[in-house]
Amino acid sequence: MKRNIFCQYTKQLLGGCLIFFVQSCGTSSIVIEGQYPSPNVTKIPLSIGVIYPQELIDFNYVEYSEIGEEEYRVQSGQSHRDLFDALLPSMFERVVVLDSIESAVSQEVDIVFLPAIEEFQLALPSKTKLDVFEVWVKYNLRISDSEGEGIADWILTSYGKTPTRTMRSVENSINQAAVVALRDFASSFTLGFSQVPEIRQWLSQR
Amino acid sequence: MNKLRIHKYLGLIIFVVPFLLLQSACTSTTVDEFRQGATGITTDESVVILGRRQGSEYETREEFVDCVGDRVSSGQDAVTVIPEREFVDAMFPWFEPRTAPMGVSNLERLMADNLVSEQMEKFGIRYMVWLDGFTETSGRTGSISCTAGPGGAGCFGFGSWEDDSSFNARVWDVKSRQNVGTINTDASGQSYLPALVIPIPLIARVEANACSRLGDQLKAFVKGG
Repeated sequence: MKRNIFCQYTKQLLGGCLIFFVQSCGTSSIVIEGQYPSPNVTKIPLSIGVIYPQELIDFNYVEYSEIGEEEYRVQSGQSHRDLFDALLPSMFERVVVLDSIESAVSQEVDIVFLPAIEEFQLALPSKTKLDVFEVWVKYNLRISDSEGEGIADWILTSYGKTPTRTMRSVENSINQAAVVALRDFASSFTLGFSQVPEIRQWLSQR
Repeated sequence: MNKLRIHKYLGLIIFVVPFLLLQSACTSTTVDEFRQGATGITTDESVVILGRRQGSEYETREEFVDCVGDRVSSGQDAVTVIPEREFVDAMFPWFEPRTAPMGVSNLERLMADNLVSEQMEKFGIRYMVWLDGFTETSGRTGSISCTAGPGGAGCFGFGSWEDDSSFNARVWDVKSRQNVGTINTDASGQSYLPALVIPIPLIARVEANACSRLGDQLKAFVKGG
């Protein structure tokens, strides 16, 4: 009798463990979430229209395992939106979200901003053998006037890392490293915007 | 015969465990202070303690920075400490890893910005402390194996390792824009993990000891002691 009860519990436990391991073998999806403070900088006296391309909103990075299986899927579109929503109103006098470059004139904006992600890289401790999660992002940033005439087109890279910690999941660590990378982008963009040579020249001619 | 064996093992546990506990509690810590200027702080002034995170190989752990902050802001002669995260967010983007001032000359330039100096004024910051360092684990030896079966489960073996913490704290006087001193803390300790059916962790609290010693020294330093 006791043996039957023991066998029954053992089977249930093994069944539960099997379900757990099968589920944990699938792709982990990570939606980047973070809080981005507004920068403490003097506002540039411009009205800026920003176009968020669909590729930015839907941006998905997939990390593959050594045998070519999807391991992690990182989605950062909404987080980039949140970042620019915190950043741009503190940098410029007026910010308008545009659907297209054609609506720039009717919205009476001075410049149009088009951000895009060119590349996203993720380094995991399980592969690099380091005690750190790292994220690199390469952005292509374009500024044009209200008629679509290009003013500046430049690349900006950002980097974020977070050390491995006990009791913190891999997903949480990747999110943390990505948030640090986005903050790094925000600080470089905020402080470097007026220093881009083409933008500096355009501002001096206004 | 069995009773004799039980007494033998009990005796081993009674004498060996406290001996190992005593060993694990022994963390060796040294603190060096190098003063370059006079210090003193009033009740309406505060200190902010920040971690250096520019390096690619390591970064000063947030938990260590918080620990030192808690130590300085508690107990006798407590000093007001602004939490690191609150300060960095309020001063964004001037204190991110890429943009944080590396020397007092950079602080001078930063304070020339009205927005930055206004925020500093709001916090009432008198001293800015930069913590830089990390804890390294080395000398891992031994092994432990655990088994489980119908009759029961248990672990057997022995493991040990050494932790070395090395941190330095640079103190900047925001009012005079000067580096007023440096405090270096080095701590090391040996941890043991014997396993006699159940693992018995005997962990040397190296980083915790480094935090408490550094925090106490820092508190005395900013007070002018």
